[in-house]
Amino acid sequence: MDEKRYQSKHKRVGQAYDRKDAREKVTGQAIYTYDLELPGMLHARCLLSPYARAKIVSIDTSKAKALPGVRAVLCGEDSDILVGLYMQDKRVLAKGETRYQGDVVAAVAADDEETAERAIALLDVVYEPLQPVHDVDEALEAKILVHEDINDLKHYVGVFFPQKDSNIASWNKSKKGDLEKAFEESDLQVVNEFSLPAVAHVPMETHVAIVQADPFSNKIRIWASAQSPFAIRQIMADSFGISESDVEVHIPYVGGGFGGKAGIHLEPLATLLSKAAGGAPVKVRATREQEFNQLPTRAGMRGRIKTGVNLDGKINAVQAVYDWDSGAYADYGVNVGKTAVYSGLGPYAVDNACIDSKTIYTNKVFSTAYRGFGHLETHWSIERQIDILSQRLGIDPYEFRMMNLLEPGKHTISGELVTKSTGSVKECLTAVVKEIGWTGRKTEEERQREWKTGKVRGKGFAVLQKAPAMPANTASSAIIQMNGDGRVRMMIGGVDIGQGANTAMAQIAAQELDLPIEYINVMTEIDTRANPYDWNTVASKLTFMGGNAVIKACRELLDKMKAIAAQALKTEPEYLAHANGEVYHVHNPERRISYAKIALGYMYPNGTSIGGPLMATGTYIADGLTNLDPETGQGSPALVWTFGAHAVDIEIDVETGNIDVLKVVSAFDVGQVINEKLIYGQICGGVVQGLGSAILEGYKFNEDVRLMNPSFTDNKIPTMKDMPKEIVAIYIENPQMNGPYGARGVAEHPMISVPSAVGNAVYDALGINFHVLPLSPEAIVLGIQSGKKSILCTDVDCLPGLH
Amino acid sequence: MDKDCSMYTEHVESGKRKVTLSMTVNGRPVVRDVDPNMTLLHFLRDNLKLFGTKEACGEGECGACTIIMNGKAVTSCIILAVEAEGAQITTVEGLAKDGKLSILQEEFISQDALQCGFCTPGFLMSTRALLDSNPNPTDEEIMEALSGNLCRCTGYIPIMNAVKRTAERERKELGS
Amino acid sequence: MISRFTYFKPHNLNEAVQYLEKEEKSFVLAGGTDIMILLRRNLINAEHIVDIKALPETAAFEFVEGAGLTIGASVVVNRVVDSEVVKAKYPALHQAAASLASFQLRNRATVVGNICNASPGADLPPALLVYDAVVNISGPQGNRQVPLHQFFTGVKRTVLQRGELVVSLQLPDPGEGDKSIYLRQARLRGHDLATVGVASRIKPDGKVAIGICAVAPTPKRLFALEDQINERGLSQETVEWAADEIHQHIHPISDVRSSALYRLQMASVLLKRGLLNLIGKED
Repeated sequence: MDEKRYQSKHKRVGQAYDRKDAREKVTGQAIYTYDLELPGMLHARCLLSPYARAKIVSIDTSKAKALPGVRAVLCGEDSDILVGLYMQDKRVLAKGETRYQGDVVAAVAADDEETAERAIALLDVVYEPLQPVHDVDEALEAKILVHEDINDLKHYVGVFFPQKDSNIASWNKSKKGDLEKAFEESDLQVVNEFSLPAVAHVPMETHVAIVQADPFSNKIRIWASAQSPFAIRQIMADSFGISESDVEVHIPYVGGGFGGKAGIHLEPLATLLSKAAGGAPVKVRATREQEFNQLPTRAGMRGRIKTGVNLDGKINAVQAVYDWDSGAYADYGVNVGKTAVYSGLGPYAVDNACIDSKTIYTNKVFSTAYRGFGHLETHWSIERQIDILSQRLGIDPYEFRMMNLLEPGKHTISGELVTKSTGSVKECLTAVVKEIGWTGRKTEEERQREWKTGKVRGKGFAVLQKAPAMPANTASSAIIQMNGDGRVRMMIGGVDIGQGANTAMAQIAAQELDLPIEYINVMTEIDTRANPYDWNTVASKLTFMGGNAVIKACRELLDKMKAIAAQALKTEPEYLAHANGEVYHVHNPERRISYAKIALGYMYPNGTSIGGPLMATGTYIADGLTNLDPETGQGSPALVWTFGAHAVDIEIDVETGNIDVLKVVSAFDVGQVINEKLIYGQICGGVVQGLGSAILEGYKFNEDVRLMNPSFTDNKIPTMKDMPKEIVAIYIENPQMNGPYGARGVAEHPMISVPSAVGNAVYDALGINFHVLPLSPEAIVLGIQSGKKSILCTDVDCLPGLH
Repeated sequence: MDKDCSMYTEHVESGKRKVTLSMTVNGRPVVRDVDPNMTLLHFLRDNLKLFGTKEACGEGECGACTIIMNGKAVTSCIILAVEAEGAQITTVEGLAKDGKLSILQEEFISQDALQCGFCTPGFLMSTRALLDSNPNPTDEEIMEALSGNLCRCTGYIPIMNAVKRTAERERKELGS
Repeated sequence: MISRFTYFKPHNLNEAVQYLEKEEKSFVLAGGTDIMILLRRNLINAEHIVDIKALPETAAFEFVEGAGLTIGASVVVNRVVDSEVVKAKYPALHQAAASLASFQLRNRATVVGNICNASPGADLPPALLVYDAVVNISGPQGNRQVPLHQFFTGVKRTVLQRGELVVSLQLPDPGEGDKSIYLRQARLRGHDLATVGVASRIKPDGKVAIGICAVAPTPKRLFALEDQINERGLSQETVEWAADEIHQHIHPISDVRSSALYRLQMASVLLKRGLLNLIGKED
């Protein structure tokens, strides 16, 4: 991407500025929590359970405690604090019973890492292994309960629905129309099952937190590599029974999050260790193995889809059952399960729909938020089903989709009306299909001919949608203060985790205030004592909500400036405009005053001063959302839909199963490009991460539900050699009328539906429908060898968790 | 998960005999006493306070800890500090000279070859080592030199663009 | 890492051998790419680390007409990758070396370290095996040579006794008209252990040699299969036959990396492609 292909109609919004914090990052100056050292800081290590489910018979900490340099040793007996964003089902340290292989059984804080490591080795734990729950089917039989106290778990009532005496953390539903009738009236009913395994986020900076718990008061100071400082504050206060005001959270540079750092993870443990060590700051850092084995993942999921369709291609009814293998604790995973009920059928206009989404406990490492928040998983089911339907009907898959996609006038499955301001999935699909050169499905003759060469080409595409999955009262805010030189410093509550939030917000402010972007300084380190509130940095919501908050703050600042300038220039504010760092009179621009002259108040020639230091605030609360009806899932949960589509062109070596991704075309209706470089970065990153899920990634558990690939040796992510030859990005701009300059978020979307597009391309190439991810070389070859035309969940041996 | 550590229920008292180590880091001579079991990565960070080089796996698999040692790109997390006796080491802090960013760093910024930035120092050093020995690399040579560096954010394409632009500019502006 | 050790860097081979024999919990350090992982994961308890990189005998890397190629224990894999003579005379070794791990790791990992680590899936042994490599060992009892195909005794186990260390590898001069290739299958294009790796060689006298990794507790030469191929004579038909027949000669397991079935398939494919490439008939 050498030349700027995108031309913006705005002066500053839409320009491809360099990332604001790039220089710190290329010089090694950027300090991450991983780098931080505090005076008197101790280092912690954890002992993880070797068993998926076991009784902890005894823990002898005496030798560890006696080791010189050890300042605290904790195990489950030492604390009854419960943590959980939505359901309080997790102890900080396992007590009595471990629930997954990787569960924290004990922790040590010591003067240095090596001593902490030694102390861990000196702990004597006696376990009694118990029969674990392996997978969703076993979990649903409920012969063994992962949480025997499930009936008593504290949770958000009316939002999550744990089922009595079961392993179902939550059973969420939505229902629209008359399903039975619609199925009956359909020419064809097609049922299919799809599945995909858990995968890891793999941020390059592993989870790390430093906590200093004041021994003389309730005050807790936290430094964390995290996405949601205000959520940490709130949950810490809740779990520890103190005031939010007693909790202070600092977020330095963050080395990647992808949703894995969206909630609260190591902070409670670090807090307990600090308290036990007399208030010394304690750093708890996950090794890479712990990152895979102890910290949470994206959930494995099985989707069963039944579609009622007519021979002319009209979809009448869709019924989906999603079973999420969410592991040992509900964490954020339970919200992923809930979100599927209003967003889990893809961007299609379906009048009769029913979704059952169960977040299920098993004895595996638990799941949390992950880029896409369940949408990659549901779209794997949906977009493969759509492709299979088009095959059955003999209709071109592009035409079939165009017949059924959402468009203005249609309603989403939660009953929300789609308008022009919602954006256009059809334009996205049309754009990618055109760019990839789709000329229709391969014929069997073409396939056979190519097969003889050993390499077969295939093209496939898939659509996607996502809106932020968040509470109806989600809010973002911004504070702007002007310095004496007329430049501006800005504080937001959102975290720049690499997505470029600070740069995008600065661009919007630069546009509003008509200042060069260099004059907008966004505070890079979040401090909850000073920065204004933002719910979480997740959900691709920061551009939209943070952007709106920034605009409001800028406009308030301009109003204040004009009020003072009007006095200084002896006119009315309504006759003033602003440009290039000056406020000026619209009729006679020579009557003007620079921002700098009013930044700290305006002083008349005789010394009298008016106004004062310029500052402004802006807040944006999600506009017009409602909770969902617990039975029907109807309501208004979605603030802003971003639609998109991917098309891929692949080549498969039929003997080895290697897939070469030649070209990926991705289109998103972003409403308004804020910064093309940043969006292109999100697209490349998301596509490659999506290809990882498509071809390469997946947790593997053995029959004892022990994780078999807890390191980079066997848990691989794409490298530079695995990137596609070409990624083409297309930006559709149908503005969202209540968005900042019409913009929508697009942070997660590039990953969604990438596996679906690849799966569809694999069908085009091989004539085989794969129902299970990943489409590894082995899966491809064994699939071809089987002679079957559909490789189902039941056909796949020793795949993670869902056998 | 670590294998059962019961063999260490005895506190190992073999005692560490420190080794005096001298090397050149970013052009500066350095002399320190180190424990033999300290890795080069920890030496750079904990002793020399050069925090730019990061650990992201500790097993040589991800490349985040890449530095240049005697002209070669190596993963410092699996090298003992004592093995670097007499070595010439360059870390990310050694790329910019006299307050001016190198062409390589400028192009990483301009091509947006970074997002969270945690893998960036490793990529910069792998690229530096590549271009020092091969000023006109092919795409395959670039991928070969850099595929030992993992990135989860960028999808690599902007990094590839930055490396190619750097090579081009260095050939033109530095006549390499 | 918990291990606290004394670091010893001898300049004299006898010194090294005596030290290794005397000190029980002593380990050899060459490239470090394997042992550092063991140390970090606390899978070994080291009290002495003996860095052999200063031993002059381990520095050798030369090809002598007639005698062949000597690879000293300190020679790193990237030196082998960059060597024109290896590329020309032992192409399978060049390719195996180029496929190993990642660029940074190849700047440290040694060829000898790869065989001493004796992983069942090690990439270099198949190529070294087809070239009849011989291992030069120095120990308290003196020096000995062991053909590489007798060097591996089990998963991560070799014939090395306490106090012994491998000083170099010797590959005979293959002569004129020799051809070889190394092909491997992995889970991705980036660095990975081999799911299966096959080295195929056609010697100047027309006889084949086949080395394979990741399908047995150790890397292996498939002598019996070679004999059968040589008896039939090399042709496209024989190659197709051999690709099937190889299933009788290997017994791969299923593990976290791959199923046995896929390994069997890939062994066939890589053998077939390798041999067809060498006889000049691309598939």
